[in-house]
Amino acid sequence: MDPGALNSYWPTLVRYALVAIGVGGVMVVVYRVQLAFGVNREAATGRALVMPWVIGFLIFNVFAIGASLYLSFTEYNLFKAPEWIGTQNYQELFSLHLGALDSREQRSSDVLPPRHDDVLRVEVGDGGFVLGAREDGFWRSLKLTLPYAFLSVPLGLVGSLGVALLLNQNVKGLGFWRVLFYLPAMLPGVAMALLWRWMFSQSGIINSAFAPVYGLFGLETPRWFTDPGLALPAFIIISLWGVFGANSVILLAGLKGISQELYEAAAIDGANNWEKFRNVTLPMLSPALFYNLVTATIGALQVFEVAAFIPTPDSVGTFLNWQIYLEAFTLRNMGMASAMAWIMLLIILALTVLIFRSSQGWVFYQGAREEAA
Amino acid sequence: MTATALTGDKLLNGPAPSQRAFHIRQVIIYGLLVLCALLVLVPFLWMLSTSLKTQDQLFTGQVNFIPNPAVPQNYLEVWERLSSIKPGLTFWRIIGNTLFITLLAMFGEIFSASLVAYGFSRFRWRGREALFALMLSTVMIPGIVTRVPGFLIWKQFNLLDTYDPLTWPSLFAWGALYVFLMRQFFLSIPREIEEAAIIDGANVAQIYWHIMLPLIRPILLAIAVLSFQGNWNNFQGPLLYLSTVEQFPLALAMRFFDASLSKEAPQWHFMMAMATMMAAPVLALYFLAQKQFLDGINVGGVKG
Repeated sequence: MDPGALNSYWPTLVRYALVAIGVGGVMVVVYRVQLAFGVNREAATGRALVMPWVIGFLIFNVFAIGASLYLSFTEYNLFKAPEWIGTQNYQELFSLHLGALDSREQRSSDVLPPRHDDVLRVEVGDGGFVLGAREDGFWRSLKLTLPYAFLSVPLGLVGSLGVALLLNQNVKGLGFWRVLFYLPAMLPGVAMALLWRWMFSQSGIINSAFAPVYGLFGLETPRWFTDPGLALPAFIIISLWGVFGANSVILLAGLKGISQELYEAAAIDGANNWEKFRNVTLPMLSPALFYNLVTATIGALQVFEVAAFIPTPDSVGTFLNWQIYLEAFTLRNMGMASAMAWIMLLIILALTVLIFRSSQGWVFYQGAREEAA
Repeated sequence: MTATALTGDKLLNGPAPSQRAFHIRQVIIYGLLVLCALLVLVPFLWMLSTSLKTQDQLFTGQVNFIPNPAVPQNYLEVWERLSSIKPGLTFWRIIGNTLFITLLAMFGEIFSASLVAYGFSRFRWRGREALFALMLSTVMIPGIVTRVPGFLIWKQFNLLDTYDPLTWPSLFAWGALYVFLMRQFFLSIPREIEEAAIIDGANVAQIYWHIMLPLIRPILLAIAVLSFQGNWNNFQGPLLYLSTVEQFPLALAMRFFDASLSKEAPQWHFMMAMATMMAAPVLALYFLAQKQFLDGINVGGVKG
C-alpha cells in the first residue's frame, strides 16, 4: 500500500470515530435529560435511539434546505460573499419570450430580445414561432426531463405489471426468472450509462443489428443522442431496461400476496378473467403500484449518471439534475443553481402531492377498509 | 372398440381442446419470458464481449458476440494506461479508495439505521408516528437541493477533497429506506419476546444486540447488498467532493479514463473491461444473497 493512500485514509478514519462517539454521547445525554424531566424509561429510550437521524435531519436537511433557499436569492460564485439580489434569479429563470417568425429562413435571434436563446422553434407554413428564454439551458433541460418522466414512468409501470402477471402464471423455475430480471438494477449506473452509449453509438450494436431494417425503409443510420427526435426514445429505452425487471419482481411479490379466496369468490360470482383482473388483482395490487409510481417519478426527474456520461448537443438539451450540477459546480453560479434546484424540488413536491391526491380514488388499503367495517 | 382405434382417434383429433389451449398458452408464456430474458442479457453479454475484443474488432458494423482473437489482457492493460497518465492511479489504489468509502459508509448507514428503526418500532413515545412520517417524506427532497449548501459547509470546514463527506455522515442514518425496511421487520416481532428478556434482566443494548439483530438478519442481508451497491456505485458524491485524481474511486476513475484517454477515439474495449470489473463485485454479492435479497426488498415494498 503506498503511503499516499494511508495519508488520505487515516484523518477521515479518526474523524469518523470521533463523530461516532459524539453521536453516542448525544444519545446518552438525550436519554438522561428526559429521565430528569420525569419521562418514562421506554419513551426516553425510544427518543434517544432516533437521535442519529434527528441530528442528521437538522443539519443535512433542515439547515441545508434553508441555506439553499437563502442562496437562491443571492448571487454567489465562491470568491465573494453571497450578495442578496432578491428575486432576480427567479426573474431571469422565468424570462421567456415568444417571437413570431416571418419566414422559415429567419434566424431565431432576430425575433428574440437580447441575451435570449431559443428553446423551441416551430415552423408552420411560411413562418412560425420561437420560444426563447434567458436561461435557455434550464428550459431545454425541462423540455427533455419532463417528457422523459411522463413517458418512461407509465411505460415502465405497465410493462413491469405485464411481466409480473406473466411470472405469476405458475411458471417453472420462478426463482431463476426472478434473479435474472432483477439483474439490470444491479449494474452500476456509471457502467450502465457507458454501456448504452456504446450500444447506441453510430457503429454500435443497435445500428448494426437494425441496418437491414434501415435499408429496407431507406432510412439513414440514426445518430441516437444527437438527433432531437431520437434522443428521448433512446433515453426511455435505457430507463426501461434499468427498472423494468426490478419493478416486476416487486409487483410479483404483491401478486403472490393476493389471497386465492378472493379469486374463488369472484369465480363463484361468475367473473371472467378480465373481471377478475379488473376487480380483484388491480385493487389488491394498487398499494404496490402506488409505491412504484411515487418512487419511479422521483427517480426519473433525477437522472444523473446517464446525463453525465452521454453528451448531448444543445438541440437535445440535457437532464435537469445534470444541468443544475453544471450551473453550480462548473459555472460556479451557486445562487442560480440553488434557484433551479428549488424549482426542481417544487416540481417533485407538486407531482407527489398530485399522485397522493389521486391515490385516494384508486389505491385500496385492505387494513383501512377492515378497520372501517 | 379396440385400443388401436382409440389411439387412432386421438391422433386424428389431437388432444382435447382445453389441453391444446393450455399448450398454446404455455408456449406464449415461455416465449415471452425468453424474449424478456434476452432483452435483459444481450447488453450484459455485449459488455463482456466488447471487453475481450481488440480495438480493430470494435467498429466493424457487424454484430459479433465472439471476440476473435479474445484479449483478456485488456483487463490489465486498462490500468497500465491509466497509471501511464497519472502515476499514482494504480489498480490497487483505486480499489482501496472505493472499498474505503464503501465499507465506512456501509457500516455507518446500516448500524445507525438499525438503531433508529429500533427506536421507531419497539418503544412507545409521543410524536413517534409524526416523526417517522417526516423521515419518510425526506425521500422526496432531490439530492441536488442540499448538495450546493452541503458543498459550502464542507468547504467552510476545509474538508473538501477528503473522504469525510462520503463516509461519516452515514452515521446519521441518511438512508430513510433502510430505516423503513428494518422497522417493518421489527414491528413483526411479538412483544412477548422482549418482555421475557426484560424479566430475565436484559438491558436495552443486550436485547438489541442478542435478540433483535439476529431476528432481523434476513433484512440486514438485503440491506447490506443494497448498501454495498449504493456506495460502491456512488458517482454524484465523489464527483462533487473529490478533486485529487489519486483519491478517485472506480466510478470517477472511469470518468477520468473516458475524458482523457478515450476522448478522441473511444476505446470501448477498455471502458467495457472497467465497467465489467466495476459490476463484478456487486453482481457476485447479488448472486450469493439473491434469495434473501429479493425476499427482503419485497417485504418492504408490499407491506408499505
